[in-house]
Amino acid sequence: MKSFVAKYGTALAGLAVLIFLVIFARNFASQANLLNVLKQTSFLTILSVGFTFALITSELDLSFASLCSLAAVVTGGLVHAEIAWPLAALAGLGVALAGGALNGFLVTAIKVPSLIATLGTASIAGGVAFMITGGVAFVGRWDATFLSLARGKLFGIPTLIFFMAAVVLIAWFVANRTKLGVHMLATGEAQEAAHRAGIATRRMKLIGLTLSGLAAGIAAVLLVSNLSSAAPQMAGDFLMNGIAAVLLGMTMFQPGRPNIAGSFVGALTIAVLANGLVLLGAPYYLQDIMLGVIVIGSVSVSASVLKKAAFAV
Amino acid sequence: MTDILVVRGAVKSYGAVQALRGADLTVARGEVHALCGDNGAGKSTLIKLVSGVESPDDGTLSVAGREARFAGPHEALAAGIATIHQDLGLAPRMTIYQNIYMGSELEKRLLGIPVLDRAAMIAGAQGFLKQLGSTLDDMTAPVENLSGGQRQAVAICRALRWKAEIIIMDEPTAALGVRETQQVLKLIRMLKANGVTVILVSHNMNDVVAVADRVTILQGGRSVQARATDGLSADALARLIMDERAA
Ligand SMILES: Nc1ncnc2c1ncn2[C@@H]1O[C@H](COP(=O)(O)OP(=O)(O)OP(=O)(O)O)[C@@H](O)[C@H]1O
Ligand SMILES: [Mg+2]
Repeated sequence: MKSFVAKYGTALAGLAVLIFLVIFARNFASQANLLNVLKQTSFLTILSVGFTFALITSELDLSFASLCSLAAVVTGGLVHAEIAWPLAALAGLGVALAGGALNGFLVTAIKVPSLIATLGTASIAGGVAFMITGGVAFVGRWDATFLSLARGKLFGIPTLIFFMAAVVLIAWFVANRTKLGVHMLATGEAQEAAHRAGIATRRMKLIGLTLSGLAAGIAAVLLVSNLSSAAPQMAGDFLMNGIAAVLLGMTMFQPGRPNIAGSFVGALTIAVLANGLVLLGAPYYLQDIMLGVIVIGSVSVSASVLKKAAFAV
Repeated sequence: MTDILVVRGAVKSYGAVQALRGADLTVARGEVHALCGDNGAGKSTLIKLVSGVESPDDGTLSVAGREARFAGPHEALAAGIATIHQDLGLAPRMTIYQNIYMGSELEKRLLGIPVLDRAAMIAGAQGFLKQLGSTLDDMTAPVENLSGGQRQAVAICRALRWKAEIIIMDEPTAALGVRETQQVLKLIRMLKANGVTVILVSHNMNDVVAVADRVTILQGGRSVQARATDGLSADALARLIMDERAA
């Protein structure tokens, strides 16, 4: 019983919130609103899954939102410059991946604590994004196929949902069923022991941070396609939301440990809460307060890994 | 019996500190060989050279008659030498089988994709533990739930998994109570019965005379004596270590 509560307690609390909103928030259960929530969830989930990989190896990534904005601006700029959209999307992915790899290099080769390294990368990425756009957004004309990427439907279901599902399933598989996943886990759990057991712990951290960058790139391409605009800082809000989703996720399924399933449910819960607050007419700032409470509350109960990572400064 | 491990004239300095000043160690295949000496005598340093954690400033190392030079712990492992440090090198929150197979997981193919073979690892882990006479049955329990003696067994199983021929144990009983110590000594005897050579670093003279066949005594970075433990009492061994110190 106790372990059931430990494993599923916060997930059930999320479910309770959902039921509460279905009953009390007007329009929450409408199809249009639910689709909107799922849309928000999909971006947040993809970013959170990436961050989860970094955190599994016991490294923080505070740059994923900035890398996402930068990748969005790169993709948007190239599409606007009439470059074939697949190339533009690949460039966006590549930029974010490179940013993640840079984080990994700084942390593993230069030994800059990830808190600092990724904070620095975030600032650099943000600056470059402004440099590229001159501070304004890319809006207006867009390639129709590119837009259908994240706006279209397949079998009546928004394509975004498929992208999210694919990312979650592949990530879950890698994390839980492959050698790479268990090596990343061992690296985060006991780096010295893992190293002595022959695991390339530095490479695992490099991979963890790079995957976080890659996820930021995927989210960026979908974001631009879905919103048909690209602006510096367009993903800024996802930083706090993503961190909250992953930390909330650490309180479920594998308590105390960053895990993919938890991050997904965490992202879903946060998107639902944010949406519910809006529908209930709560002022915007309440969302920020909610995120703060979730972050602090989650770490208070689940402790360990994040404290380890955060104190490694 | 042939010598499986021979160290000659090992020298190692850390800055101004000379941790080893020409230490020798000869270990016969299949024996339990104790390494004794006072604090700072150089036991851990000698172990680090043999396990590839550090490289010597001078001296030679040969394994099974062949000269060896290890660039890192993985090379020592490849040569069949596994070291169990005092902290055991386990990941407390990971399961027993994950710890035993850490770094050398078993895989199977699922639609052509290599995936972890959990069932095989659980069965294998059980096999290794049985070999040591352990009664642990839930291989999916986290290691942090185990007693000190059981953790030692898990650490030894990992060495067995690596097919280590020489297992080095640095102070395996230092943090343990009487009962757990007896369990670890039993594990060492089981290893010997399985044909594994054990090098035991210990400050506990009772443990040494109870399980070791031979003992090498280090003093100030040099080996001052190497002898059989036959007919040696714990007190006599302690006196040997202290006499050498007085000398
Ligand atoms: N990394 C290091 N840096 C500096 N000095 C060291 C280092 N490792 C060991 N020494 C020194 O080398 C000498 C031998 O140390 P070592 O740890 O090998 O002794 P030991 O026999 O294992 O002692 P103990 O019984 O206390 O574990 C000591 O004087 C120690 O202070
Ligand atoms: Mg020592």
